[in-house]
Amino acid sequence: MTRTEYLMAQKQKDRRLLGVFPAQYPKEILWAMNAVPAEIWDPPMETSQASAHLQPYICSVVKAGLNLILEGKCHMLDGFLFPHTCDSIQNLASMVNDYLNIQKPCYFFYHPKAPYRASSRPYYIEQLKALITALEKAMGPMDPSRFKQSVEQGSALGALLEKIYEQRRSGALSATGADFYRVLRQGEYLHPDDYIPKLEAFSASAGKGDRSGPAVILSGVLPNPPEILVLLDTLGVRIVDDDLMNCSRRFLFHGKAVQDPFEALADAYFSLPPCTTKNSPIHKRIDTLMEKIEKTGARGVILYMVKFCEPELFDVPLLSEAVKRRGIPTLVLDVELNQGLTGQLSTRVEAFVEMIS
Amino acid sequence: MSVARRFAYTFMKEVGAPVAMRAGRAGKKKKARPLKPHFGPPLKCTSRLKEIMTRHYFLSRYAEGAKPVAWVTSGAPVEMLRPFDFYTVYPENHGALCGAQRMGPELCSVAEEKGYHQDLCSYARIDLGYFLSGKTPVGRLPKPDLLFASNNICQTVVYWYRVLAHHFKIPLILFDTPYNFQEINDRDVAYMVQQLEEMIPTLEAASGRPFEEHKFKDVIRMGKEAAHTWGQVLATMKAKPAPMTIFDAFVHMAPIVSLRGLPVALRYYQTLLSELEERVSKGIGAIKNEKKRLMWDNIAIWYKVRDFSNLFAEKGMNFVTATYTNAWSETIPHMHANQPLESMAKAYSLVILNNNLNHRLRLMEDLIKAYDVDGLVIHSAKSCKPYSVGQYDLKRLLLDRLSVPSVIVEADITDFRTFSEEQTRTRLEAFFEAMEG
Ligand code: SF4
Ligand code: SF4
Repeated sequence: MTRTEYLMAQKQKDRRLLGVFPAQYPKEILWAMNAVPAEIWDPPMETSQASAHLQPYICSVVKAGLNLILEGKCHMLDGFLFPHTCDSIQNLASMVNDYLNIQKPCYFFYHPKAPYRASSRPYYIEQLKALITALEKAMGPMDPSRFKQSVEQGSALGALLEKIYEQRRSGALSATGADFYRVLRQGEYLHPDDYIPKLEAFSASAGKGDRSGPAVILSGVLPNPPEILVLLDTLGVRIVDDDLMNCSRRFLFHGKAVQDPFEALADAYFSLPPCTTKNSPIHKRIDTLMEKIEKTGARGVILYMVKFCEPELFDVPLLSEAVKRRGIPTLVLDVELNQGLTGQLSTRVEAFVEMIS
Repeated sequence: MSVARRFAYTFMKEVGAPVAMRAGRAGKKKKARPLKPHFGPPLKCTSRLKEIMTRHYFLSRYAEGAKPVAWVTSGAPVEMLRPFDFYTVYPENHGALCGAQRMGPELCSVAEEKGYHQDLCSYARIDLGYFLSGKTPVGRLPKPDLLFASNNICQTVVYWYRVLAHHFKIPLILFDTPYNFQEINDRDVAYMVQQLEEMIPTLEAASGRPFEEHKFKDVIRMGKEAAHTWGQVLATMKAKPAPMTIFDAFVHMAPIVSLRGLPVALRYYQTLLSELEERVSKGIGAIKNEKKRLMWDNIAIWYKVRDFSNLFAEKGMNFVTATYTNAWSETIPHMHANQPLESMAKAYSLVILNNNLNHRLRLMEDLIKAYDVDGLVIHSAKSCKPYSVGQYDLKRLLLDRLSVPSVIVEADITDFRTFSEEQTRTRLEAFFEAMEG
């Protein structure tokens, strides 16, 4: 079933659909409102319509997302949610809400930025409550017991993802890199009732992986163009972990028993891995990456950059320097979404793989 | 802080700086000023402004080790630092200065060689280029003891200051201002007030001084008054002909950005205001033949200020208002010494770049009406996403609502390597035709 077919089927189940822009937001609240978040990261489309509204120096995540709206491909959605991720998404949110007359509600989610202080946690909880209040206006009151269940489900999902990442790290997962991210990224639109069983089956079917190729870690924004994953698979590279903004950096690995759902969500948010979208100090990002290298014995780090992504590009020199100082080579890919695999790109990837093999 | 350095700083402040300024003045007098046929008489205050800013950068060389030094973002509530006697340096102002002196590409390249991508904000690249090479037209910037940033102008400054914090291994205080998507509510204000309270112990530790409320309130009064006076300065451009151009204002805004909360900024704007009021009363215009009045959107194109100033003056077009210069007079005058933290939270979180695009549209409409604007030049600045995303629609909406013609100039604030003379000329020619037609 395609993503669109799946989302249509959700609508038929009387679930609402919210188009959600990157990156971090409390999906549990949406589930509790009987809504399915359909995340908009890299819709496979040209961005010509968006180019009439956005300058050439704006990243293709924002452009592709806006294009999706402008081409009328969001008719089945009941609204949009914009987390406060970066300057471009911040302004895109306001453009869509204030200028484009799209006739759908737009919600905004502001999360406090590090360095965290005593004021950050209560404010985060206030923001969760404010989001609920805003959604309730359109969707009716949220059932508190359902909220608790959703948070428990989120917790179970976090634990499952943690297990799968561990399986991958330890070589107990035979899936290719391309398959791994194909399955994982289905979480960008599947309801947890469907996503959890899928991940359970994926985890259970894991055979021993081939341990012969060089191990790498992916960092950056998201694994697009996916053709690079296929190329890495072909070259026998094992992706053993990641520090991707749209993958491990935003999975809520909490897993504690849920007493108060707000507190549980706050616990999870404040224990997320360091990320530019929360302004985490760079040394924390370096430490996290080093830990991953340590645990996995990775021989290289590939930084998957989206062109014009300021949050990530600022960290690249210090991250690369720290990794290189340890004798681990890095490959920085500065790409447009869905650009496919050019000859130049594959040559760079192949040369990198040869170096670490 | 070392006693010897304090002594050297005080000596330079009381003796060295005045001597150096006098020497500078004497040197300048010998140079003949080129005639500017399309302009009215130059502003007398400009030489005073140069002295103030030169003195500020001159003294900054002696501040290190004598006073606590903070590097501060232009939108951060600097009033919090003043009672602790921090010497404040504004890397964005330094970036603008380097940009105006056409040093942008040189410094940016240094940062780029270290891996900082050419697509990053060029103020940040200039600053990192300075940090890595020590090159600057101002001699030297003092090493900071503290970094003070607010994301009310952009998230970029935080990414940038995180890099500085990593290198200098010093504290970075972030004043986190929730974006005003629809409205800033009591919860947001309470969060910001609490942050301001929380930063006091860090400031005490970094400066070695206790927080004194009465000093803080004085600073608030001073900052508020200076911002209000700056607003009056800008408002003189409502007169026809306008007594100064926005290109003058780009230069004269330096004290409100960098010296806010200090008596020198207030005194300067009071003097500038008197001069402008006198010009208005005598009908002296900044340009000789003001036929059309324009508005500027976004930060200046620093390396083009002079060229643009001449080009537009030749056509009898004067820029009389800008969203950029207006930013320091829009909300800061609403601070109150009686409710310092709360009013400061509101004032600083509602600045143009932390405010939704509806607000920007209304603001621009108001400015267009108040200043009787005939046309609009929109600088789409590659460096600055929060200022630039939304401009294409703003252009369309302003044309629909007020029939104001406009042109978009694709450029950058300081890095002229991406500037296309050809494209800009073509666009401006079409704009001039529309304005004159
Ligand atoms: S890719 Fe970067 S700039 Fe683009 S939306 Fe994501 S975080 Fe923002
Ligand atoms: S130019 Fe724009 S992005 Fe750069 S520091 Fe200023 S506000 Fe931020």
